[in-house]
Amino acid sequence: MGKIHVLPEHVANKIAAGEVVERPASVVKELLENSLDAGSTRIKVQIEAGGKRLIQITDNGCGMVRDDALLAFERHATSKIKNVEDLLSVSTLGFRGEALPSIASVSRLHLETRAAEEPTGTIVEINGGKIFKVEEAGLPEGTSITIRDLFFNTPARKKFLKAESTELSHIASLVTHYALAHPDKHFELHSATNAVLVAPPVAGYSERVYQVFGKDTLDQLIAVAAMQPLAHVGLPQPPPWRREAEEDAGPRDPGEMRAHGFVSKPETQKLNRNSIYVFVNGRLIRDRLIQHALTEAYRNILPPTVYPVVLLFLELPTAEVDVNVHPSKTEVRFRQQTVMHDFVRDSVRAALMKARPVPQFINEISAHASASPSLTPGAQQAAAQLSVAQQSGAQFSEGNAHRFAPDTSESRLLNQPANIGDFQLHAPVPPSVSGRFQFDGGIQVEGNAAVALARAPQVVPWNGCTPPIPDEPEEINPTLAPVLASLKPLGQIRESFILAVNREGLWIIDQHVAHERVLFEKILKQRSAEKVESQRMLMPLILELTPAQQAVFTEISDELAGNGFEAEPFGTRSIAIKVAPAGIEACDIEHMLHDLLDQISHEEQILNMDTVRARIAASVACHAAIKVNMPLEQNKMEWLLAELAKTDCPMSCPHGRPVVLRYSLKDIQKAFKRI
Amino acid sequence: MPVEMATATGTATMEITVSKFELLRELTATQGVVERKTTIPILSNYLFEAGGDKLVLTATDLDLSLRTSCNAKVKKEGSCTIPARKLHDYVKLLPDADITIKLLENHWVSIRCGRSNTKMVGMARSNFPSLPVFPTAGVVKIPAQVLREMISKTGFAIANEESRYTLNGALMVLKPESITMVATDGHRLAHIERSGEKFDGVSGEMKTLIPKKAMDELKSLVDSTEAESIEFARDESTLYFRIGPRLLTSRQLTGQFPNFEAVLPKDNNKLVTVRGEELSAAIQRVAQFADERSRAVRFRLEKGELKISASSTETGESEDTIETAYNGDALTVGFNAVYLLDFLKASGNGDVRLELKDPQSAGQLRPGDSEEYKYRYIVMPMRI
Repeated sequence: MGKIHVLPEHVANKIAAGEVVERPASVVKELLENSLDAGSTRIKVQIEAGGKRLIQITDNGCGMVRDDALLAFERHATSKIKNVEDLLSVSTLGFRGEALPSIASVSRLHLETRAAEEPTGTIVEINGGKIFKVEEAGLPEGTSITIRDLFFNTPARKKFLKAESTELSHIASLVTHYALAHPDKHFELHSATNAVLVAPPVAGYSERVYQVFGKDTLDQLIAVAAMQPLAHVGLPQPPPWRREAEEDAGPRDPGEMRAHGFVSKPETQKLNRNSIYVFVNGRLIRDRLIQHALTEAYRNILPPTVYPVVLLFLELPTAEVDVNVHPSKTEVRFRQQTVMHDFVRDSVRAALMKARPVPQFINEISAHASASPSLTPGAQQAAAQLSVAQQSGAQFSEGNAHRFAPDTSESRLLNQPANIGDFQLHAPVPPSVSGRFQFDGGIQVEGNAAVALARAPQVVPWNGCTPPIPDEPEEINPTLAPVLASLKPLGQIRESFILAVNREGLWIIDQHVAHERVLFEKILKQRSAEKVESQRMLMPLILELTPAQQAVFTEISDELAGNGFEAEPFGTRSIAIKVAPAGIEACDIEHMLHDLLDQISHEEQILNMDTVRARIAASVACHAAIKVNMPLEQNKMEWLLAELAKTDCPMSCPHGRPVVLRYSLKDIQKAFKRI
Repeated sequence: MPVEMATATGTATMEITVSKFELLRELTATQGVVERKTTIPILSNYLFEAGGDKLVLTATDLDLSLRTSCNAKVKKEGSCTIPARKLHDYVKLLPDADITIKLLENHWVSIRCGRSNTKMVGMARSNFPSLPVFPTAGVVKIPAQVLREMISKTGFAIANEESRYTLNGALMVLKPESITMVATDGHRLAHIERSGEKFDGVSGEMKTLIPKKAMDELKSLVDSTEAESIEFARDESTLYFRIGPRLLTSRQLTGQFPNFEAVLPKDNNKLVTVRGEELSAAIQRVAQFADERSRAVRFRLEKGELKISASSTETGESEDTIETAYNGDALTVGFNAVYLLDFLKASGNGDVRLELKDPQSAGQLRPGDSEEYKYRYIVMPMRI
């Protein structure tokens, strides 16, 4: 008698259940996905005792006929794929055919279903994997599955469940996020005592966000939308003898990638990644690649250990993504990882840059700046701008988010002279002193935005940077540069924070980080122009490095040299710094380099030179910037604010701390009980 | 001289009368030592000690202390503490008359002058830190004029913060017949030496690190004194400078001053002499167009002229030409304008000798007419 035998099916199912059904929320996830795959438009989830006692999901999907209903509980029985080729292009959320039998094997399951074409429905009851009862009944169309006593026969697993409230919160967040991914469907989630979520179908994602999270959250978010055609670059070509066959089939259109959703403004900071939700083709995933891309997008905007709130929907041809990685399907593999990574990073980054959000900015400024376009004299002149705007709109529809930004700003710059008169009529903010593009400033934005708005939603709903929300992004994210330039500094608090006013309210500027931001951008510019200035040391500075620092140093020494450092090896694990970037005090250099090398050595990711360059620039800027506790004269403060207004991202320092806070007039009035 | 507190009787007492003029003079002189941002409240107070016919005032921030005295009519000997800033601000506003200061109960102090009557709340005298006492042996006399000169010509080069490679202090080297002071911040170094003096009590070499704060304080004390010479002494942890009736003590810096002799250039062979005022004016003009952060200006040494230029992408570019008698090879080298101006300001009017070698080596500047002092300033070039 051999020792090896095939496991009975109910044992195999329980093993599979261990992978798929981890907690009540995973049951909800599997069943929700089934409902969505069944084309339901109305899904209701009922939970009792955090899902331990009862999970009931009712939908109005296509339902099942009697045979299907029974077959569904066989392992690897599925309607979603047929053969192995289908596996390469899975378009449904499920496909493995494991969920139902797995769930059934660890719970008491009650299924009611009726397919639209059948006159009667079917009731199936299964207890711990054994079919108990199958009978016909008159039922509404769709499917309702009731799971009772989850894990009643696997006490070990049951023991590991968390408190009811914790399990409920997992379920709630799961349902919430599927609801966000499908704004056109009706979702309901009820616990034993109250309705946790009721979300009737709405027109778009932003309404769904509003519905689920409310206005405050929506205000904290910046819409992202981008599209990029997928070109197959760097993928292995089929061998010549097979290539012909492929060409016969006609040149395949590689399709395109789309990203849309919401990312938070820099002042929203979370301590973990739990608020990052990424959906790939409607499937909620946790993917390191995408998470890294997001971290990269927020680099120098958020501090390294905090995370943004992200709700990102990626859509790409099913052949481009492999979902068959893990039974729980929360991991995916992208066929073109780098392209995907850069696409996500650049789209989010572009949206952040474009919005240039102001911390604690209340809509007040923009609310008055964006009075209906027909009321603004600018609208009459809009005809002249229309052609320009349309041009940019056209580029826009070509869909390259990065190219879009500079083009529009140029076209706005062209419009500027015509608009100055109107501009002053509305916002007494003077046209920016800096002479920079009025990227989102006042009226101009309105003129163009109004045109773009009229065109965008119908013609090219996915284009460039236009978010698929009806409100203008400018309205949510009023921008800063012109406002900053209009500030009048009053003085300093503790010789560290500049107080400034304009008619919008009171502003507080952290002088160190403001200067840091100014220097950071300047250093990067000088670096890319190869015009770095550096100062020779009186005596070489001998630095002793740890092995990790030494490794980093070797790796980045070229970039350090490009940034104005001149260092030579000095015995084992020591280097002699002979020249350092200008503007850093000699005594700061040691600190700066140690910090820099440590920071980079803690980085897990393989470094690209841009990141290193930004890191070095951030470090140099930080050490060269004016410090806190430093008295500034009036003209110095004015200079600093003007310089800050010229920067591309005046809102946060290269390490991600905020630079500017605003206490709006409205808030002040409120605080004094005047309104 | 410190005065012992009258502890014999149960409650502490003190009552004195002092002229406003004299009191204010000493209060002003000691203001710099009073700790401003202290977390230790007693350090923002003066210690007043009355004994004999003197009032002794002491202020300290624990690193530095300054003790001074003025004549007073002492009715009751004793001591008290008074908030320093407030007292100074108040006394300044009093009419020129005698002020009577009297210790009341619970550390309150009454200050009367003419018709003005104020009570201020002090703190217990026992809270005031005990201060080092001037040593009796090893006292060196340094001419006030020499010290004044040396501090003003090196003090500006001291680094603001301390690190392993720079100390925020200056090095003073006393030899039996010379005195040297050196300061550096890692980018430039100021070095001044005077020989032909006679320092009794110094044998061999006596090296002392003087903290920047003490240098600053010392400078203002030396500037305002009429005394001919300063008495200097030190023990293991403290430096003492007696300037007339005032005694400044400072905690000693510990650390190794960089080996400055190694960086003094020896073979700089491109020499040019220019008028200090002319050079300073040219640099100031040109530096308007230097990078705001690096302050880099370019020196171009050619036959017969020195061209100074700067450019930045934001503001434009600028060039000044100074005629010289230079006859060597052409050389271009960059410097931080601020470093050069610091030197030119300190060295005063007169000729300045620029001694250069190549764009990577240290440049040296010296006043053209230094016979009493050997003053040199080494500044590292910039790569621009």
